[in-house]
Amino acid sequence: MEIINIFFVVVIAPVIGGLLFGLDRKLTARLQKRMGPPILQPFYDLIKLFGKGRIAANQFQLISVSVYIACTILSLILLATGQDLLVLLFVLALGHIMLILGGFSVRSPYSQIGSQREILQLMAYEPLLVFMVIGTYLKTGSFLVSNLMTGSYKPLLISLPAFLLTQIIVMAIKLHKSPFDISASHHAHQELVKGIYTEFSGAQLALIEMAHWYELILLMGFIALLWQTNLIIGGLIAFACFLAVILLDNISARLTWKWMIRFAWTFGVGISVANLTAIYILR
Amino acid sequence: MSNFIYYVPLSIILVALILAPLVFAFVISIVRSDYLCSLIIIVIAAVLAISSLILFARVTITHQIIHYAPGLIDWNLLVTIADFGLMAMFIRMGVRRKSVLILVFAVIQTIILAWVEFGPKHTEMAYPPIFIDWLSIVMTLIVSIVGSIVAIYSLPYMREHERHQNLTVSKQPQFFRTLLLFLGAMNGMVLSGNLLWIYFFWEITTLCSFCLISHDETEESLRYATRALWMNMVGGVGFITGIALIQLKNLPMDASRLLQLVHTGNEAHLVALLMLPMACLCFAGFTKAAQMPFQSWLLGAMVAPTPVSALLHSSTMVKAGVYLIIRFAPIFRHTGLSEMVAIVGAFSFITGAMLAIGQSNAKKVLAYSTISNLGLIIACAGLNTPLALAAAVMLIIFHAVSKGLLFMATGVVDQSIHSKDIEDMQGLWASMPLTSLIMVIGILSMLLPPFGVLIAKLAAIESSIQNPLVMAMLVIGSTLTVVFWTKWMGRMLATNPRADGRKRESLPALYAGTLAVLASGAVILSLFVKPILENLVLPAVANYYNVAGMEMTPTVLSAPWLMIFLVIALSVLAPTFFNHLRSSQIKPAYLCGEQIASHSTTAQFLTVADSAAEMTVRGYYFEKVTDESVHVKWVTIVATLLIVILFGAVYLWK
Repeated sequence: MEIINIFFVVVIAPVIGGLLFGLDRKLTARLQKRMGPPILQPFYDLIKLFGKGRIAANQFQLISVSVYIACTILSLILLATGQDLLVLLFVLALGHIMLILGGFSVRSPYSQIGSQREILQLMAYEPLLVFMVIGTYLKTGSFLVSNLMTGSYKPLLISLPAFLLTQIIVMAIKLHKSPFDISASHHAHQELVKGIYTEFSGAQLALIEMAHWYELILLMGFIALLWQTNLIIGGLIAFACFLAVILLDNISARLTWKWMIRFAWTFGVGISVANLTAIYILR
Repeated sequence: MSNFIYYVPLSIILVALILAPLVFAFVISIVRSDYLCSLIIIVIAAVLAISSLILFARVTITHQIIHYAPGLIDWNLLVTIADFGLMAMFIRMGVRRKSVLILVFAVIQTIILAWVEFGPKHTEMAYPPIFIDWLSIVMTLIVSIVGSIVAIYSLPYMREHERHQNLTVSKQPQFFRTLLLFLGAMNGMVLSGNLLWIYFFWEITTLCSFCLISHDETEESLRYATRALWMNMVGGVGFITGIALIQLKNLPMDASRLLQLVHTGNEAHLVALLMLPMACLCFAGFTKAAQMPFQSWLLGAMVAPTPVSALLHSSTMVKAGVYLIIRFAPIFRHTGLSEMVAIVGAFSFITGAMLAIGQSNAKKVLAYSTISNLGLIIACAGLNTPLALAAAVMLIIFHAVSKGLLFMATGVVDQSIHSKDIEDMQGLWASMPLTSLIMVIGILSMLLPPFGVLIAKLAAIESSIQNPLVMAMLVIGSTLTVVFWTKWMGRMLATNPRADGRKRESLPALYAGTLAVLASGAVILSLFVKPILENLVLPAVANYYNVAGMEMTPTVLSAPWLMIFLVIALSVLAPTFFNHLRSSQIKPAYLCGEQIASHSTTAQFLTVADSAAEMTVRGYYFEKVTDESVHVKWVTIVATLLIVILFGAVYLWK
């Protein structure tokens, strides 16, 4: 069973992730009254990037990308095999920090500023993820996903509604969607060029792109956990959240990092703590 | 082997751990030979490390808590005399430094001490003065091994340090004398059960830290040393007041008996009497562990030579503060006092991390990080569950190794680039590849999986869930921690492609050796988190609360750590060794196509009227948001209020 899960995670998850990003580009184009690329465009991009000649700014970039994608896949495996959620979050953070260090490793104004801002993105969403994990602990008495899935608990969303909202915020920040596209944007026409990704190229960039696909599935998996009794419903909720993030991206403009931190740490942390407090009181 | 360990008499181990450093401290101040001095330090370091391991092995085999009465002479009398000698020295220092604060606190301590020793009350000791349990063993191992490594590292460091000072007479003998005294006193403190003995050794560490901080005898170092002394003496007043209160209420004066009061359970009325003295002892712990609002002495202490910081921050001094609180934690379990200790600790955890973000001085970042981590340990002690205490003890172990390593590496960098500023460390990855690699390992071991500090931190978060306020503070504080460490690593890694080819770096043997031992220690200890927890930490905690082993094992340990370790190691090693870039594949950074001659050694670009400009980058410090002078004010006020509430809690919140 675990082998099947791991196989699914390693092979199927990026395919779904890539398709979702293709859908994102199509929908965004339609919202802007453009034709948009085919749904399979992310895969074409990936193949093209892998075919590029091998250049880099230094050896450390290769290490950082390798750890980034390894940790992202590893956290998805940890989720699929029912492991500890808190450990998972920090394995994910390790990958993310290594990517940031890869951006830092080149003395280039764009990737430097991008990396500095990426730390702020990380700082904005990290507590929201941890609070959600603590919420699940309060309901189930364990950080283990397996415990959550096998125990006879009501869907978490009923007692932890705030976390649906915070997970949308986390997803928007993590995918660099407006108004949170502060460290890098999907369109390389802003003052930061491609921000933290500016100095990555070829196969390295392709691996980062693939890691994003895994990451999207992981984030959707988190949301699906909120309806753990029936993962099909959970998946649909996660998909709806993804659509909400795309919509948010198209109707809002980029804001400053100060606004992002303030928003995530007052509104996001606020509703998280309020939700947790309610559970403490009702327990 | 086990026989051999069993036949080493306990008295010899104790002499090696406590008396040998004290005696050789005086030998060093007599011999005026650098060579002999180095020899003595290395021998003593080896003796300390081996003795602590023998003690550890002995307790592992026998499973017994040791009560031991040292023989030959009346040691109690000796401690009493030495205690008053110490007070006389404090008073003399107060006079010499013209510091009213030192003078006042020294006199207060002397009066209370005299009352305790010669006053109307007299308590019989239930147990002999030496008390060795698992917590003592953990502390002795840290002091004797990490402390010894720092001492060996100081040998080349101090020689280099003095080379720039044009001294006529070397001050190294004084330095190493104090260093040994410090290690002996720390061992003495953690191996004593008699409160008066603990107090005596506690005060020696205060004195030693003063001597070490003021070692350079510059205006600045004397000022900060004076501050460190009076702040720690405030703690000393708290400590001796606690002892006096215990005596006043006719309660036992040894740790072992005090802890038994809790275990037997039918002496609850006595435990209730202990709350105020315990609050005093916790207060003493806060000062020594540099918790807000007493953080400024530890920040000032960074003027001292770097080995001093490495010693104060990792294995000694500040760890004495947290040790005292953990030592007595079970006594105030389930009380308002415990709640407040957790909140004071969590407050230092979060504010220390916040203030570290705005600093560009590496030693200051490390200092704030120490304050923050000690806050976390104290918060765990305040949470006061077996799981929380296990997290606290794990943090003490792993923090000692990583923080010692980071300070030592910072010292090596400082002696090479003559700056402690993180901005000046930009591109260190290319110019000092070995040291910067060690620093990156040190930093990663402070905050990320699969390293021990993080595993302990996760256990701390797990145990804090019962206490929502502390939990929220720990979560936010952990996030802030990530920010300043990542920024620092980013600076070191930032190199110019092509221009900064990685150089070969050669370090003096003692530097390379000590750094390598601690760096590999940080990695290997993390690999063996589980055995360490089971063989060292859990016995310490189990013995404390009299509970079965099950409920203390943090659930994070059940994660497949070996797989995580392997995946991370593989993903680091594979591109390092099997995917090597050729120099033709290394391309310069993107500068909008305005780059001048990509082969040049600096990154220049064309600007207005085709003139050349140098491209520079620097780190963010968010000066407007993290302004230290603004934040320290309210942090001090809030922290002071918290401590007032802590004392209030003793009365109002039982």
